[in-house]
Amino acid sequence: MGKRSALVVLSSDDEEIDRSLSSNRGRTRSSSASRLISSAPAKNPGRAKKARVSGSRSSLGSVSTNWDEVRLSFGDFDEVFSGGSKVAAGSGRSNVKELWVEKYKPHSLEELAVHKKKVQEVKGWFEERLTDSKGKSSNHALVITGQAGVGKSATIHVIASQLAATLCEWNTPTPIVWQEHLYNSSTGVQYMSKLEEFENFVERVRKYGLIPSSLSEGSKSSIILLIDDLPVTNGKVAFQRLQKCLRLLVQSTRTPTAILITDHGKADSEDHTAGYLDELQLSLQSAGACKVSFNPITSNSIKKVLSRICKEEQCNVTAEQVDLIAKASGGDIRNAITSLQFFFLKPTPMHSLPSSITPPRYAKGKQAPWSAKGKSDMVNALDNSGSLQFGRDDTLSLFHALGKFLHNKRETEDSMELDGAAFHVREGLSRLPLKMDAPEKILCQAHGQARPIADFLHENVLDFVSEEAMDDAWSVASYLSDADLLLTTFCGMLSRQYEAENVLQSAGASVAVRGVLFGNFHPLPSRWHAVRRPNLWQVEKSSFYNKKEMVNRRFGAYSGTCSSDLTVIATEYSPVYKWLGFRAQGGLEDNVERMSLGDQESEIDDDIEEW
Amino acid sequence: MKAEGRIRIEKGKAAGRGRERVHDFPPLLPSEESKMLWVDKYRPKTLDQAMVHQDTAQNLKKLVAEQDCPHLLFYGPSGSGKKTLIIALIRQIFGPSADKVKVENRTWKVDAGSRTIDIELTTLSSTNHIELNPSDAGFQDRYIVQEIIKEMAKNRPIDTKGKKGYKILVLNEVDKLSREAQHSLRRTMEKYSAYCRLILCCNSSSKVTEAIRSRCLNVRINAPTDEQIVKALEFIGKKEGLQLPSGFAAHIAEKSNRSLRRAILSLETCHVQQYPFTSNQIIPSMDWEEYVSEIVSDIMKEQSPKRLYLVRQKLYELLVNCIPPEIILKRLLYELLKKLDAELKHEVCHWAAYYEHRMRLGQKAIFHLEAFVAKFMSIYKAFLIAAFG
Repeated sequence: MGKRSALVVLSSDDEEIDRSLSSNRGRTRSSSASRLISSAPAKNPGRAKKARVSGSRSSLGSVSTNWDEVRLSFGDFDEVFSGGSKVAAGSGRSNVKELWVEKYKPHSLEELAVHKKKVQEVKGWFEERLTDSKGKSSNHALVITGQAGVGKSATIHVIASQLAATLCEWNTPTPIVWQEHLYNSSTGVQYMSKLEEFENFVERVRKYGLIPSSLSEGSKSSIILLIDDLPVTNGKVAFQRLQKCLRLLVQSTRTPTAILITDHGKADSEDHTAGYLDELQLSLQSAGACKVSFNPITSNSIKKVLSRICKEEQCNVTAEQVDLIAKASGGDIRNAITSLQFFFLKPTPMHSLPSSITPPRYAKGKQAPWSAKGKSDMVNALDNSGSLQFGRDDTLSLFHALGKFLHNKRETEDSMELDGAAFHVREGLSRLPLKMDAPEKILCQAHGQARPIADFLHENVLDFVSEEAMDDAWSVASYLSDADLLLTTFCGMLSRQYEAENVLQSAGASVAVRGVLFGNFHPLPSRWHAVRRPNLWQVEKSSFYNKKEMVNRRFGAYSGTCSSDLTVIATEYSPVYKWLGFRAQGGLEDNVERMSLGDQESEIDDDIEEW
Repeated sequence: MKAEGRIRIEKGKAAGRGRERVHDFPPLLPSEESKMLWVDKYRPKTLDQAMVHQDTAQNLKKLVAEQDCPHLLFYGPSGSGKKTLIIALIRQIFGPSADKVKVENRTWKVDAGSRTIDIELTTLSSTNHIELNPSDAGFQDRYIVQEIIKEMAKNRPIDTKGKKGYKILVLNEVDKLSREAQHSLRRTMEKYSAYCRLILCCNSSSKVTEAIRSRCLNVRINAPTDEQIVKALEFIGKKEGLQLPSGFAAHIAEKSNRSLRRAILSLETCHVQQYPFTSNQIIPSMDWEEYVSEIVSDIMKEQSPKRLYLVRQKLYELLVNCIPPEIILKRLLYELLKKLDAELKHEVCHWAAYYEHRMRLGQKAIFHLEAFVAKFMSIYKAFLIAAFG
């Protein structure tokens, strides 16, 4: 590949270059000398700037062959650049090296890491639409879903080039910065939201069809419309506009259209967009779109791609390392490739890794760390080693984390005991090792707040305690009460000390979680179980409401000259009013109804299944 | 007295009419007095009418007759007549204008460092006094104390003779105020003592800081004796034209736990339940008390996590109805002790005290209530197993 010898220009960060150079074995020695050399496009500041903008590869490739010459002829420039002029620094950063993700973009169907069947499915769909363009088939829209980095766009690009179709792509325009907006408005250009722009685009497509700007061969080449990136919608109204507009597009388009929707997965449960996107998919399907969902790429496919890249980059890497990276990426190939590249940038490559790595806690002394123990161990090893900073950190949904805590899975035997070195605790206090990461780590991944987590645990934990184990129930309850104390203190005196507040919060969450894990010594055998929303929230809300009602009623019934304490009202006056049937206006009955918990309780938010 | 002495509301919802928030309930005309609870109807209006604590009432009368009134701290158990005395005292000072009160839901905008806090609180005020429960504002109570006193100081009333007068601020449940609030109360008391007098009212003076107690005239209001309660009940009976069989009033008084309010309320409920009275008539207890004893029998019947969950739901029901958790715990303990073997009582009391303490420190009462119930279940279960195998 000719492009490989991309030039390295002076950068403000020498060390970085050092690393990239030393790690890249494929390069000739002379390239190490190139770090003081400006690239050819930087003949004058103006051009250098242009080069940065366009990032043109071709010129780099051709020039790089005779860069010695360049070096001679532009020797004086070196001084200028090493003087640290802005332009040099700017252009330096731009063409450091090509990203492998770009470089090894799939160009043929074979190179795609996506599952063959899915690719065939999509390709077949496009072929069908493109061959009988006279419109026998009614629907011309294809919705492709999948999490980030599973090759949705890449598949479409490859298929389009295979079918020799022109690909028209909608990408949401770049955001307008404030200065730009000021400039625009001074010249009379109205601001348009991205959603509006998208709507206009769709409108145009629907009315006039797609007319690619470079339509030289006339009707010969067929067109595929690709809507990559949907505009971000915020709020219900905007979302409904987007939905309506997409529905119209799906119903009326005559060109084969692929709409890509990135699944955020359930992980971001905080994010409402996830729910919106589901809704969007359903509505598009009901409008006649065909849906194909891409699964995360299997680690085998990723491995294949990675080893191919390794071969081409001529870097030697063991199968195990590739395996590790592939697993750590969680089915995201873009991430895997970037990780691989980053991995080879590191000053000390991973050759020594397997020996230096500390084995995961609970496998101590029993198994070689690399013996097959499944994915979680491997990933664990990655995290524990501290020498690998890549890989996607999995995010867990709050419910997943809660499920882990509540089900309280443990090893069947204690490996620590075999060690002999472990200190002994009193009988009844020792617990088997957890079959999960440290609870604090799970808490981090689940980005839950301490308070709601404690509430959720409190609401649900009793369902997971064995019927006989009353003592367990007590110790859990008492730990939760401790956690409540920790979570409370901050709101009074420490309100200014955010740091202390943070520590307290995490300590509180930790006590709650570990208390639940420790206290529940005899968990029920795991089974399917629904997690309830804390009833407590509803109780708090309605008691606040009732409080107001009560006080008002008291004042209303008695236009007297004193108010009473809420306690007295609640415990003495209200029952009497009830007894007396509230003679004054008989309005009590409604209130009584409102006061009870009634049917609002125990909505089931989400289910946990057995993990 | 002119209305200019009133505190104006900046942004309160009740800016117009004082009764706006409670418009569901039309104001009661004097002719509708029959619809008032007897507790309110027969509340002594003046210090002279006081039926219990006559000597205290007379002392208070003399005190304000000398034109200067110190800050006052009334303390004593619930239902002993603190509030009645306070109202009568205010009327004594300001005359009938103190009767014209209005209820407001006021919103204060408080500037607390970097942000402004909105605090909503119900107040009851006449031209000369304001009454409020600052502890309802939770941990923001200190702002309330500072703000309202400052505001009062700004609008200092001028009485008819052109002399500068003062206003009275009645603060209820001072013992529930946070420590910060009590401190700021102390400072404001000193600074603005020329403009306003404070009347503090609480159940137990032990939770009021020394600093405040020493700046106030402490008035202890004892719970009325059974005889006094009987006298009051008979007075009401006569006024209502009821036949009270002998011993019935004493029966109610005994059940009332020396709370006059409770006794009068019981009398009225009995009256609704069954009239003419019989001397051995069952006196209905409060519904929440019955509910607590139901919970207790649940607890005694079975001790398991599932039962604990059931109990939790019932506790929620009580909390929804604004029964304060401390009172729930107290009642729960009381009912449990009745059914308990003597050797367990000590331990159960210990744990009740332990969780009551934590409940005050903590935020979510249910966590601690439930922990107490769980502890009790665990103790009781162990006891049963040990006793019966």
